[in-house]
Amino acid sequence: MEMDLVIGVRHNGAIPIIDLSGEVDAYTSARFREAMIELIEGGSASLIISLLKVDYIDSSGLGALVGGLKRSTENGGRIVLLCNNPQIRKVFEITGLEKVFPIYEDEADALSILS
Amino acid sequence: MSDTNKKTGAGSDMTFVPEDFALRDEVRWLKSEDLNLFSFIRQSMNKIEPGYVSTYPPSECGIATFCKDVATSVAKYTPFSKPTIIAVKREHEIEPYERVVRYQILKEDRQSYIDAAKYVNDSSIDIVSLQHEYGIFGGPDGEYVLDFLEALKKPTVATLHTVLHSPSPNQKRITQEMGKLCEVMVVMVKTGRQILLDGYDVDPAKITVIPHGVPNVHRVSAATVKRALGMADRQIISTFGLINRGKGIEYVIKAMPKIVEKYPNAVYFVLGETHPGVRKHEGESYRNMLSEVISELGLEDHVRFNNRFLTLSELVRYLCATDVYVKPYLSKDQISSGTLAYALGCGKATLSTPYLYAEEVLADGRGLFIDFQSPESIADTVIRVLDDKDLKESMETAAYNYARRAAWFNVAISYLDLFDRVLRRSGIVKEEPAG
Repeated sequence: MEMDLVIGVRHNGAIPIIDLSGEVDAYTSARFREAMIELIEGGSASLIISLLKVDYIDSSGLGALVGGLKRSTENGGRIVLLCNNPQIRKVFEITGLEKVFPIYEDEADALSILS
Repeated sequence: MSDTNKKTGAGSDMTFVPEDFALRDEVRWLKSEDLNLFSFIRQSMNKIEPGYVSTYPPSECGIATFCKDVATSVAKYTPFSKPTIIAVKREHEIEPYERVVRYQILKEDRQSYIDAAKYVNDSSIDIVSLQHEYGIFGGPDGEYVLDFLEALKKPTVATLHTVLHSPSPNQKRITQEMGKLCEVMVVMVKTGRQILLDGYDVDPAKITVIPHGVPNVHRVSAATVKRALGMADRQIISTFGLINRGKGIEYVIKAMPKIVEKYPNAVYFVLGETHPGVRKHEGESYRNMLSEVISELGLEDHVRFNNRFLTLSELVRYLCATDVYVKPYLSKDQISSGTLAYALGCGKATLSTPYLYAEEVLADGRGLFIDFQSPESIADTVIRVLDDKDLKESMETAAYNYARRAAWFNVAISYLDLFDRVLRRSGIVKEEPAG
């Protein structure tokens, strides 16, 4: 099977950023979920998830995000998304999850809300 | 497959198609673990409640499968909604439907259509998604569907599975009336839209194109799957779907001697059972005729039938093992084809007769065309693809990339977006109950 989701983790100051590239779907979302939980349980309650290079996200990807949000809020944190792809934005808009996850196009804006 | 593997999508079977109810599951767990977050998410999320009018599994027809796929896919994004199926069935059939089928229309009982509309009017259903093909509804050319639509007081989106170039006067009347009674008509290719505009005078603002959905399958090499099937040294050609005379399978069988001459290990898989409606009227006479052709040509080792219902995972496994998928349809007018869509979704090098749907989806190098009823053309084109690895690879990649946007999870968003727009236009917006 091709590697359809690449997950990178970096930090901007104290805030961890998960860079996703590819497709977040039923085949790949478990790995994404594990990456989020590892960071949260490692002491980083707040996260930025970059969807800037994501081609598709399905309901399992959204489920992973909701699961991550639960862990994050339990630890007093927040999850903020980076996204500039109108098709991905549409998924959040149409499901109503754009009201649950703050979404920014610019990393500096996303960082400022977590500061 | 264990629950763990379903959850992670892992497992040794690389053609496994994972279930993805993660959003619904996460929300369910939240209710017991974090009521505040649960309430916030419930308040925020889309709560559209669609009602789907269609044939429905276990009825064996492509539209029934389509309806289940679209309803299930939309529901995955709307964990706080309750979808409803209004199933069209024949009077004498007792179908062991799933619980989601909350009302049944008796196909040939005209009053049943009016009663169904009343049921929808009195229910919490916000919008109706109606699957249309003339044959699935009762009355001449399925005209009882108009009784349902006329009595209905909820907005309706009709997905047209057949759009005829040359309809009978009654078929044309039905489609035109539907165009007036429905808020939107969905077709699966642009050609369908053009036919509706040219031949039926439907309001262009009412027509939208949403592609036929395909399962979410990640690409695997055919060689890997063939090894797992014990067919590592075979060139696999396949066709799948419910079998009937219009499918043109005999022409592929007649092409096999020439293919086998060049590729002695070639094998043609015919995947799927005889269409139940056909079996009722003529039994297995078409399949028996195909068997006779196989015997006459001495192709027993080169043609295999899989005459049973295949699960999605089984079907995907065979498709992933396929080198060349062939769709030898005999009718030029076909405006949708789930089976062709599935082959593209699995990233297969696909050959088809140039019927309307195929002409559009296989354009731009995504497939090759074969002549109608021509074993010679089929043989030459199959051999051309098997001979040219670069051509085969480029067809596979183009098909896969094209079909990716039609994965059910993307098609579901298109339908949800459409439902939402129609409801907003109609001034119907679902509010979260206080508290």
